[in-house]
Parts: sequence; C-alpha cells; structure tokens
Amino acid sequence: MTSSDNARREVEEFQKKVGTLREEIGRVIVGNREVIDGVLSCMLAGSHALLEGVPGLGKTLLVRTLSSALGLEFKRIQFTPDLMPADIIGTVVLDEAADGKHVFEFRRGPVFANVVLADEINRATPKTQSALLEAMQEHRVTVGRTTHTIEEPYFVLATQNPLEMEGTYPLPEAQLDRFFFKLEVPFPSREELHTILERTTSDEETELRPVISRAEMLGMQALVRRVPAARHVRDFAIRVLQATHPNGEGAPASVKRFVRTGASPRGVQAMLLAAKVRALFDGRFAAAIDDVKASARPALRHRILLSFEGEAEGVRPDTLIDEILQLTASAKD
Amino acid sequence: MAEVRAARRARRAAARADRRLRARAALDRLSLWLPAPLGYSAAALAAVKVFGIGPATQRTLLGIAIVLAGLTVGAALLALLRRPPRWAGALALDQHHGLSDRVTIALSLLELPPGELTDFSAAAIEDGLAVVDRLDARRAVPVPIPREFAWSLLLATALGVCAWFEVRLTRVLPPPPSFEPVVMAADDLDLFGDIARRLAEKSGDPASLAAIRRFNTLIEDIAARRLERREAFERLSDLEAELAKSAEIDREARELGLEGLARELGRSGLAKNAAQALEQKRLADAAKALRDLAERLKRKTQAPSRAELDRLRSAVERASRVSSERLAAIEQRRRELSEEKQSLLKRKSAEAPNDKTEGNLAENQRKLERLDRDKERAERAAREISDLDRQLAQAAQDLAKETSAGAEDIRRSAEELEKVEKRELGEKEKRELLERLREMKELLRQQGQGGKERQRQMARFGQRARGGGSGEGEGESQSGSQKGGAGPGQIGRIEQVQVPRITRVPGAGSGAGDPASGNGDAKGQGEAASGREAGRGHDEHMAGDPTALKGETHDVTAAAPDTGQGAASAEVIHGAAERGFVGKAYRDVYVDYHTVAEQALEHDQIPPGYRFYVRRYFQLIRPRE
Repeated sequence: MTSSDNARREVEEFQKKVGTLREEIGRVIVGNREVIDGVLSCMLAGSHALLEGVPGLGKTLLVRTLSSALGLEFKRIQFTPDLMPADIIGTVVLDEAADGKHVFEFRRGPVFANVVLADEINRATPKTQSALLEAMQEHRVTVGRTTHTIEEPYFVLATQNPLEMEGTYPLPEAQLDRFFFKLEVPFPSREELHTILERTTSDEETELRPVISRAEMLGMQALVRRVPAARHVRDFAIRVLQATHPNGEGAPASVKRFVRTGASPRGVQAMLLAAKVRALFDGRFAAAIDDVKASARPALRHRILLSFEGEAEGVRPDTLIDEILQLTASAKD
Repeated sequence: MAEVRAARRARRAAARADRRLRARAALDRLSLWLPAPLGYSAAALAAVKVFGIGPATQRTLLGIAIVLAGLTVGAALLALLRRPPRWAGALALDQHHGLSDRVTIALSLLELPPGELTDFSAAAIEDGLAVVDRLDARRAVPVPIPREFAWSLLLATALGVCAWFEVRLTRVLPPPPSFEPVVMAADDLDLFGDIARRLAEKSGDPASLAAIRRFNTLIEDIAARRLERREAFERLSDLEAELAKSAEIDREARELGLEGLARELGRSGLAKNAAQALEQKRLADAAKALRDLAERLKRKTQAPSRAELDRLRSAVERASRVSSERLAAIEQRRRELSEEKQSLLKRKSAEAPNDKTEGNLAENQRKLERLDRDKERAERAAREISDLDRQLAQAAQDLAKETSAGAEDIRRSAEELEKVEKRELGEKEKRELLERLREMKELLRQQGQGGKERQRQMARFGQRARGGGSGEGEGESQSGSQKGGAGPGQIGRIEQVQVPRITRVPGAGSGAGDPASGNGDAKGQGEAASGREAGRGHDEHMAGDPTALKGETHDVTAAAPDTGQGAASAEVIHGAAERGFVGKAYRDVYVDYHTVAEQALEHDQIPPGYRFYVRRYFQLIRPRE
C-alpha cells in the first residue's frame, strides 16, 4: 500500500464519519445544511463558531444535537445581562474537608466541557463576554494563581441575536476574532417548516446516539491539518485577506470607502483551514481556490469592521466579500 | 513513468492554455485599440477628400495614422508576448472541466522537492494527473472574436467608403498665365519711330546712337506686340535710368570744366573771343576763335607782340591746369576737414558729450560729403576735357619755345573743343530721347488705364488724322454755325488747351472773306457747314473724357506776320479737322503754333503735369505724311 493509498483510505473514512454525523444531525435538524457544515468545519478545525439569527430558528437545538451526536460533554450557558464571569469560568469556594479543615476549592464553571453552548452571548455585558477569551484561545482558564486546562476537544458554540434587537451588547472585536466562523442561520423555507411542524408537534421523540467518539474527533482534526494547500491557493487566500483592508493591495473602491479595519490574519487561517475541511468533505486531498472562496464569507464577515459611513449606508460585509472574491484573480504573479 | 508522462501532458496542456490566453488578450487589446486608427483614418481621409487638404498636411495626417496604427499593433503584440500569471492556463483548464484545481494543485505540488511531499501531496498529484487525458485547452480557453471588433468593422467600412467615393470639388483655379501684349496706337508708334529716326540721323555720338537703337528696338517690339506691359515698363525704366544718369552728370561736369577754361583764357587778349564763346557755351564759336588765333599766330604779318604771347602762354598754361588745380584744392580741403574731424572725434571721446562738439562734427561731416560730391564732379570734368587740357598744356610749352608749333597746338585744341561739342550734341540728343521716353511711359500708363475703348478711339483718331475719312460720327460742331475767323492771315486763338479733349477752335471758321486776298471778316458769317451758331459739343469719337485739370486754362495768342499769302490759319485748321492733318499749309500752321507753345512751355511757369498734356496735344495734331 502506498502512502497515497493510505491517504485515500483516511479521506474515505473521514467522509464516512462526516456522513454519519450529518445523517444523525439531520434526524433532528431540518435543512440548514450550510450551517451544519459550517459548525462541523469549525469543530474539525478545532475552533469555535458564532451563530447569529433571530430567536426560534433552532440555533440552540443545533448545538445540542451536535454535541449529542458527538458523544462529548456538553454545557450550556445562558447569557444574561447580570451574568458574571465567575458564573462562566467557576469560582473558588471555602469548603470543609473530611478532616474538618477548611480549604479553598475551585468549583469549575460551565466553560469546562467539550462543547459549550454560549446561548445569546450578546445579552451579557462585554466584561462577561470577555471571560471566554482565554478559554477559547488557549483552551485553559486561569483563576487566581491557578491555571486550569480544558479537556480537548473544546468547542464554544455561541449564538447571538441580531444586534438591532433590544438588550444586546455587541461583542468586542477581540472576542469576535476568536470565532472561527460566524454563521448566519436563515429562516426555514416552507417545506422545511412543514417538516419542523411534523417533528415538533407529534408525539414522536428522536433519540440521538453518539456516532463519533472523542478520539475520532481528535483524529479527524489532525487529518484536517495534514491536507496540503498549494502555494497558489494560499496566495489567493492572502490576496483576499489583503483586499479586505482599505489600504490593502487589490482593495476595491467599496472596501476603501466603507471598511474601517480589515480582517486579521486569523481570518486567512480560518479560510485556509475551512478550505481544507471542505476538500476533505469532497473527498479531495488538497484545498482548492473554490474551497477558499466558499469559506470566505463565514470566515471574514465578523472580522471586517465597517466604518461609520458603511454602518450608516447599511453595507453588509457579505456584499463586500463577494465583491472582493469577484475582483481577485485566481492567478497572479 | 506513467506519472511523468501524465505530468508532461498536463504541462503541455497548461502551456497551450497559456498561449490561448495570450492570444485572447492580444485580440481583446486589438479590438479596443483598433477603432482609434481606423476612426482617425476615416475622418482624415474624409477631410482630405472634402476639404482638399494640401500635400504637406496630408503627409502629417498620414504620419499620425501610421503612429496610431503602430501603437495599436504594438499594444496587441505586447499583450501577445506578455506571459500570463503563473498557473493561469492550468486554472483555466481546471475551471472549464470542473476539477476544483486538481491539475493546478498537482502541477504546483510537483514542483516541490520530493522530501516535502506528504502522502496527501502524493495523493493530490495522482488525483490531478488522473484527469490529464480529459484536458482540452481549446475548449477550456476559447479565443472568441471580441464584440468590440464590431466598432472596428464599422469604422473599416467607413474608411472603405471614404476611399471608394470620390468627392468632386469645384476648385477655383488661378487663370493660366496669359500673355497680354502692351498695345500702342499705330499713330503713336509712327510718332516715336519718327523721333527715333530723327535723333539717329542727327546723332554722331556712339553712346547716343546705342541708346537710340535700344529705343527703336523697344518700339519695334511694342509694334510687333512682343512685350508685356510689365516688361515694356521695365525696359523703358532701364533705358531712362541709364540716360538720366549719364546725360545730366556729364553735362554738369563738362560745363564746370569749360567755365574754368573760359575764365583762364579770358585773361589773355588773344584768346578773349574764344573765352567769351566758351563762357556762353557756344563751343563751335569757341573752336572757330581758337582756329583764328592759330592762323594769326602762324601768320607773320600782324603777329602778336611778345607780351601778348606771354599772356597767352600764361593763360593757356593756367587753363590747362584748371582741372588739376581744382582737384588739388578739393583734396587739400578734404584733408583739412578730415584732420578736423579726427580732432573733433578725439575731443568727443575725451570730454563729456556736449552739443557744440556734436554740432561741429555734424557740420564737418556735411562739408566732407559736399566735398566728395565736388570731387566727383571735378574728376568727371577733368575726364571730359582731359584731351583739351593736354593739348593746351602742350600749346603752352610750345608757345614758350616756338610760335609755329604753338599755333599748331592751339589748332589741335580747337579740334578737341569740336569733339567736346559733338559730345555735347550727343548728350542733347540723349536728353531729348529721355524726354520722349518719359512721354512714352506716361502715354502707355494712360492707355493702360483707358482700356480697349481708348485704344479704339486712338486708332480712329490716327486714321482720321491721316486723312483716312471722317470715321463713324461727326461732332455736333460740324452742324453748328461757326463764328467768323479772325481775319486773313491771322493766327487764330488756341483755347482750351487740354488733352485728350480736342476742341474746335472758335473763330477758326472759313468766314466769308476771300482767303486768297486775305480780306476775311473778323466776324465772318461763314457757314462752315450748315449751322449758324458755334458748336457746343464735340465729336465723342475724337476726344476722350474731359481732363479734370484743376488749373485754369488761359489763352495763348501767337502772332505772326501777316504775309497776305495762302489760306488763313483758321481755314487751314478747319480743313485739317475735315481732311486730316496733312498738307503743307497745315504743316506751316502747326510749326507756328508748336513753336509758340514750346516757347511758352520753356519760359512760362507751367506745372510739369500740364506740360505733358500740351506736348501730347501737339503730338496728336502733328502733321502726317
């Protein structure tokens, strides 16, 4: 068996597992294939996702379903304006030991899980939102003088309501940048609504079973990192990233006018990793330009900060990203 | 091995796609640029055909068109030769075949060093090369004809139409150069021919004869209609300038020299007659006086005394030195003035500029210029009478030694003086020729202004003047009753001396008197024709428009002795009007009138412009053969 055969086999297994996972999720979640793939991409890339949509679109259900299908420890945090950071990461309490001594003991917060659902994250204050920063980036939590490591795999799947809604706090830029993807959950179509009604208004209950183990998930994450990206693909991703900056090379006029700050380098990392995941989804062995293009919107939309004029004009980052993709040539010296 | 072949095929396919991309880019560039030279060429060609643009501008327009075409071809070539971005061909293949960059990734990964290849890289290469056989560069990179070529096609059609259509222009061409000879009436040609002939007969001076020959040739050329107006005037001007230059200056110089001679010879009693004649410019008399003196010196009887001879010798010697002494005096004065000028110039450079020095310098300069003119005149005078001076000097020497040789020298001096007289006569002819030339020029000028009608009038007049019939019409005066003549043998009055109007002479009617007896009535009741009153008009065919002269005319009365013979002048003149200016009687009357008129012209204050018309009038009424 040659090395390429080995790779083929691994890719096939990957596809099979993903297929199984999709199938299991599909038993509960109606439609939203793109969102599901997006969340899966985030998980396979070892990062976090932010889901945005009006209430009632099944965001929370999706995350719960996913965690159930993965057989991972799941915790949910309902963000409210009075939620404190200690409520998330845990706190130190004075406890009485068996021998009657009083000791300080760290009680872990809900952040210590494999899958954390930060529901309606933008309802909490920025201070509380920022409490997730270290956990998301470093996969560990420092309380006092002690640093507590979070068990891998670790995913934070946050949901938020659109910012226009009352009682929401916009996420800080640094917090936003930690999210691999920002996925917009669309309103279901009529057919999808029919199915939703059938499933949710009957006495039928769907029992989910874990289809992928924790170890398999870690293996799949490692496999993603092994997928090569040719130089011209990387170059394309970089040029797209540069074009999101008003002063960057190849920036279209609209970006120069409406964008205050372009995407950070995490944006291009996200695009390329997502492209690799997508290649594997397709059973290919290397990321292609089309994969980069497909991942550009969710990877960049929350990383592009609009200028005042852009906000006033109601410009959507997705529009700018589409324009950038259209104007960026596939090949360039 | 199969992988290598597949890689080679993949590279070839990518290279083909690259070439097609370049060709497409070149075509795109050409389609964008081509309308410029085509549109410009069509516009320029249309402009050339419609506006008739000249060759120089045409060359400029063509140059611009060539530059535009060159730029277009250059731009297309540049696009053709420019390498497309790396992997552009391979990506085009992938995109066309929906391969998700498989071929491009394979070719890209193949460039990595073998050590850097992972199992996934190897799988990706295999995956990419597996589809090589499906690659079709022609379909992946089509090279369509760009839509923009429609503009080029349209403009090329316009250019073709412009080139095909011929725009007929009505261009006003300058008239071809035509030869319009200067025309002079035959009568005038005869007149000037006669003048030339008469002058040639009189003249003995070769220079004058040469000038007369040129004048004659000019008349012949005009008569043969070989000369254009411009050329005729040029030749007249040349001849006039030549004659004017030599005649006037030589005359002045000669008179200056002879004045000096007369003054010095007048100091001797023996040469007094010759001196007086010289002073009065009677050169023939002066020569005769010198001959007489030579005879007297030769004769033994009545020989002059020694003292008279000494005075004569002294006078002759001084006379021979007049010219040279005058020249020396002028030269001396010039030297003095030059030195003064140098001194003034030095003072001027040394001192501050002041008006006095400047004025002195200017006056000095004027004096110098005057002296230069005097010197030139003196030198000419010396040349004019140089032979005479030499002969007189010889005579002075011989008179000091021997009487007979001196007499012979004086006789030779008389001969030299005769030569000077001949030259003077020749110059008189030159001056007369000059006068005639000026008249001829004025005549040509006026005839040119009068046009062909004037020429026809002159032709009819000349015909009638020769007695060739009365012509087409008679003047009103022919039917009017004329007043009586002034009497037998009297010269009638000349009134209204205006040319070209030829007026009848009132009182010149035949009268009732007997011409033979000369007893005509001053207020004769003659009926020259049928009328009883004086004519109030004139024959329009005999005269042109009245000359608008501002000066008042006045009568000139010329009296002549009444011989009581022949027809009265008025009768003769009337007859001349009827029969032409022919016959002896008319000639006599004409000579009388002409003489009086010339005397009046010479002595009276008559404006130069009028003189021409008076002379012209007499030219026109001159007797014909």
